[in-house]
Parts: sequence; structure tokens; C-alpha cells
Amino acid sequence: MTDATPEDLQDNRGMLDRLLPRWSIGQWLFATICLILCLWVLLPIYLLVLSAFSPRDAVFAWPKAYLPFDISTDTIAFFFGVRGVFSAFLNSVMVAALTMVISIGLGAPAGYALARFRFRGKDSFRLLIVMTRAFPIAILALPLTVTFIKLGLYDTVFGVALVHSALALPFAVLISSSLFMGIPFELEEAAWTMGCTRFQAFWRVVMPIATPGLAAAAIFAFVISWNEVFAATILTLQHPTLTAFLLTTLSESPLYFRFAGGFFLVVPALVFIFAVRKYLFSMWGIANR
Amino acid sequence: MAAGIYVDKVRKAFGSFEALKSVSLDVQPEEFTVLLGPSGCGKTTLLRIIAGLETETSGVLKIGDKQVNGLPPRDRNIAMVFQNYAVFPHLTIFENIAFGLRMKKLLNSEIEPRVKKAAGMMHIEHLLERYSGQLSGGQRQRVAVARALAMEPEVLLMDEPLSNLDALLRLEMRAELKGLLAESRTTTIYVTHDQVEAMSLADRIAVMHGGHIIQYDSPIQVYQNPANEFCGGFIGNPPMNFLQAERRNGHCHIAGAALTAPSQGNGRVTLGIRPEDVVVAETSAADHLSGHVTVVEPLGPHNLLTLSVDQQLFRVTTAADSPIRSGQEVHLALAPGRLRWFDSESGQALH
Repeated sequence: MTDATPEDLQDNRGMLDRLLPRWSIGQWLFATICLILCLWVLLPIYLLVLSAFSPRDAVFAWPKAYLPFDISTDTIAFFFGVRGVFSAFLNSVMVAALTMVISIGLGAPAGYALARFRFRGKDSFRLLIVMTRAFPIAILALPLTVTFIKLGLYDTVFGVALVHSALALPFAVLISSSLFMGIPFELEEAAWTMGCTRFQAFWRVVMPIATPGLAAAAIFAFVISWNEVFAATILTLQHPTLTAFLLTTLSESPLYFRFAGGFFLVVPALVFIFAVRKYLFSMWGIANR
Repeated sequence: MAAGIYVDKVRKAFGSFEALKSVSLDVQPEEFTVLLGPSGCGKTTLLRIIAGLETETSGVLKIGDKQVNGLPPRDRNIAMVFQNYAVFPHLTIFENIAFGLRMKKLLNSEIEPRVKKAAGMMHIEHLLERYSGQLSGGQRQRVAVARALAMEPEVLLMDEPLSNLDALLRLEMRAELKGLLAESRTTTIYVTHDQVEAMSLADRIAVMHGGHIIQYDSPIQVYQNPANEFCGGFIGNPPMNFLQAERRNGHCHIAGAALTAPSQGNGRVTLGIRPEDVVVAETSAADHLSGHVTVVEPLGPHNLLTLSVDQQLFRVTTAADSPIRSGQEVHLALAPGRLRWFDSESGQALH
């Protein structure tokens, strides 16, 4: 390669021209910005995953290995070995699962009602649902804590799940109402004329069609709960969720521990959201109207 | 198994809007009735009330001998074909057709032959394993009809079933439906705004307008003896011609012609005559109208002339090889037995 002739260079130039699409400057600029934004988001996540799956001392190594040559579950194993991590992880899973059940259990019927029935105050109801997100948890924190202590919900999985459900419900309602609105009412009516009660028609016709979308809404609720830090930190003491546990321990932990923790916070949420993105877009479409 | 349908003074109000104003129907067993009218006339509302999808404000409703007021659709022994077909997207075509039979808790051994039979009638046996997303509009329409037929209902209700098909397919399905439904001998109520469909399919047509049934009679009666100006204008393409006339001393005067008046009295009346009941005449006579041809449209089987008679719009069909050109002054001979007279005020037919 050292004795490349001018002709070779000429040749390479020609090949480059053929490989690259003929774009205008504007298009090149646009593509470059897209690339930078993607790297901006993806690179930290990549490094996070890489470090989480490298041996512990690889975190301090320099220069860094930017490709996963040395995969090891060593760091992950250490992470789960730390006292409190595993139970916090379980708490997180339980809280998120409970949040999912509550918000779909209440949100889907509410969404169905919004989609199918005309009732007084329907529009204000729809607006009020979104309004619940207008109160920052920080303001509600103290009264909530006091109330929860009184009710015996403080520092319980159920208590945290209740607050997370309040956060996730608006989305569950909006996603499921747009979902049910997309299913023609005629299908239900056809089922009624063929011998179904209203509930049977819902169960045999609407539910099978709505299931993928409802699953997406459920996963979204799961992710909201999984990522929630503030309420979980304030309302727990002995039984924190993973986020709450990490928030309190992160500052005094070794670097590789932080990477592993970061991995468990970021990656499940990302994977889930990516899986259900189609339904989230449809919800925004409705909310923007 | 066919049952009659008896509708007596049924009213339906949506808030302050009265969609149906005391409507009565008496459909015989095995009869094919078409509810015909422009959009918003209440025809679909009436069908949905008979189906039980809408609740009447007042009135009596019977299917067979059973009063069905307040019964849910599933207890009325009906089947319905919807305008948008309403084929369930999550089930195969077989399961769509079997859906009602499964709800009746029939055994698989009974369901399969009935599904096959209904599919055979609609020529969709080869589609049974597919899903509705893989079918064309016409095929979905066939599934919807097969699904209704498989129920073997006492009453079949169809809500504009052909309106979403393209023109050619609609023509084909219309003829096919007519043969099929005559064979199945099911009492049928069919809603449409297409007067040709109504004429072609119906044993009796109920013409609806503004929440009333205006005329309830055989197609040929509705065509030849419209109960009022609306019926004459709504049915027929081109519609019936209407001309304002002065009635004096037993004669009606229009555009230089004197015609025998339908009844005694003086004042304004309206003459109605269908475009095919008018002949362009060579010479003038006392009962010939004179008119000025404004447009000639060659339509293939015949030519459609648009004329101005006494400043009023008038249409005549002539032979395709007619030499008449626009701008010409012509004489019009009216077929004597085909003159219809209407009260100019109320629009009601005068007899």
C-alpha cells in the first residue's frame, strides 16, 4: 500500500464517487446532523452497555477498547452480589408489574368509554386526564408521604405502584381510547345481531383486535414505573425500587457498579419503548388533534 | 321460517330532532321491501330500530307474532348486512361465517355444512381460509351476505350493502342478490338511496322523505303513480318533468296547450310526465306543448333532450337517430294516459 501510484488514487476517487449517492449540499448537511444526533444518543448507551459487559478493571483501562473483545458477566454478577440490589430489582419489577395491571385495568375501560359513549363532560374529562400530569410530584411529595404513613402505605410496593399508576394512567387512557376509536363500532353491532351481548361482543371481537395495542399501553406503563425515581425515593425507606436504591448509593459506589446500574435502568426501557413505538405515535396523533 | 314485520306508528327523536315521525310498515312473510329515500330521510334509522340497534321513542314493533320492542338484537332472530361489511378482521372467513352459529352453540358437525352452503351460494368457497384484509371490497361484501344467510334468520336486514362497490360490480351483485334472495325466501328489508336498485329488487318500495313514508307500493305503481311530486322527482333517471299550469273551466293551460283538467276547480296545478312518455311531434295541435331545445345529449340507446317549455325545465328522451338539434323549436305530444296532476301547494297527487 505504501507504493500507491497516482493512478491508483485516481481509481479510488472514482470508486468513492460511485459509492456515495449524489446529494446536494443541503442533503449532506441534513444527513450529517442526523448522524451527529444519533451518535449523541447512541454512543453513551453503547459505552454503557460495553462497560457493563466488560470485566471490572476494564472500566479503568486506557486506551479504551471500543469494540466488545472482552465480554464478561463479571460486572453484572458483582452488581447483583451487592447487598440490597437484588431485592431492589425485585421491588422494581413488582411495582412496575402492579402499575401495569392497575393502569390497564382502569385505563382500558376509561378509554373504551371515551371512544364509544357520548356523555356530559366528556371533553373536559379528556382534558382533566392530561391535567393530572400538570402537578409536579415534588409539590405532592410531602402531603403524599404524610397520607401514606397514615394509611400504612408508606414504604410498600403497593404504595409506590399507586403513585406510578397515577402517572401512567393518562397515557393508558389516551392510548386505549385511540385504539378503540380505530375499531369500527359496526363490528360490535354486527356481533350483537349475531347473538352476542354487549360484553360478549367486546370480549370476542373488540378485545382480540385491541390486544396488541393494549399490550403496548401496558408496556409503556411498565416503563414509566421502571424509570420513575422521585416518588419511589420519597415513599420508600427499607424497600426501595432499583432507581431509588441506585440514587442513594450511586455517589459512593465504584465506577463499574454505576455502569451496571445504568445498564439496568436504561436498556429495558429502551427495548420496550422501541417495541411499542407504533402505538405511541398513534397516541400522539390523537393527542395533537 | 320467514316472518312478517309489523311496524306501527314508530317515532324516533334524537333530542329535539325527529328522525322518524310516526312510521308504519306491514311487510309480508318472504316479501322483499326496499326503504328508499335521500340521505337523512330516516331509512337507516328505521332499519336499525327494526334490528334493535336503536331504540324507538314510541310505537309498536313485531317480528312474526312476537312483539320485539325493547328486545336486544340477539333475541330478534334477524341477520344484518352492514354498509361497510363489518367482516371481523381477526377471524378467517370461515370463522366469520360461523360466528353466529357458534354463538347459537351449534355443534361443529352442524356448523361446517351450513358455512359451506352459505359460502357456496356467494361463490366464496375458495376464500374460507383467508382473512378479510386479503379480500377485495366485492369479496368482503359476499362474506357479509354469506354470514347473514348462514344464520338462516327470520328476517334479513340490509343497510346500503352495495353502495361501497364500484358501478360494474354493483350491477353484477344486484342481479345475483335478487336471484339468491328470491331462492332463500327470507323476508328482507333493504335500505338504499339508489332508485334503480330499489326498482330492480323490491316487491314493494317504501319511499321515505323527512321522517315519513310517503308511498308504500309496488315498484311499478311508485314509478307510474307517484303519491306526490317528491316521489316522481326522486324515482326515475331522468326524473319526472313538472310543469306549472293554470286550471280554468275544466282545462289546464300550459305553454299554449289546453289539457283536460283532472278535477274541478280553478287555480294553479302541476303537471307531471315522465320523459319517455313524450313524443316530439311534426305538427302542432291543441294538446301539444311547444318548447325550445337547449341541449341534446346522445346517451347511446337514446338521446336526452333538455328543453325550455314556458320558461320551465323539461326533459324528453328520443330515438338515438333523432335529427333534432339544439336551438330548434319543437312540438311535444304527451301520452294521454300518462299525465299525472299534483296540487301545486302541497305537492300531493290529484286523482
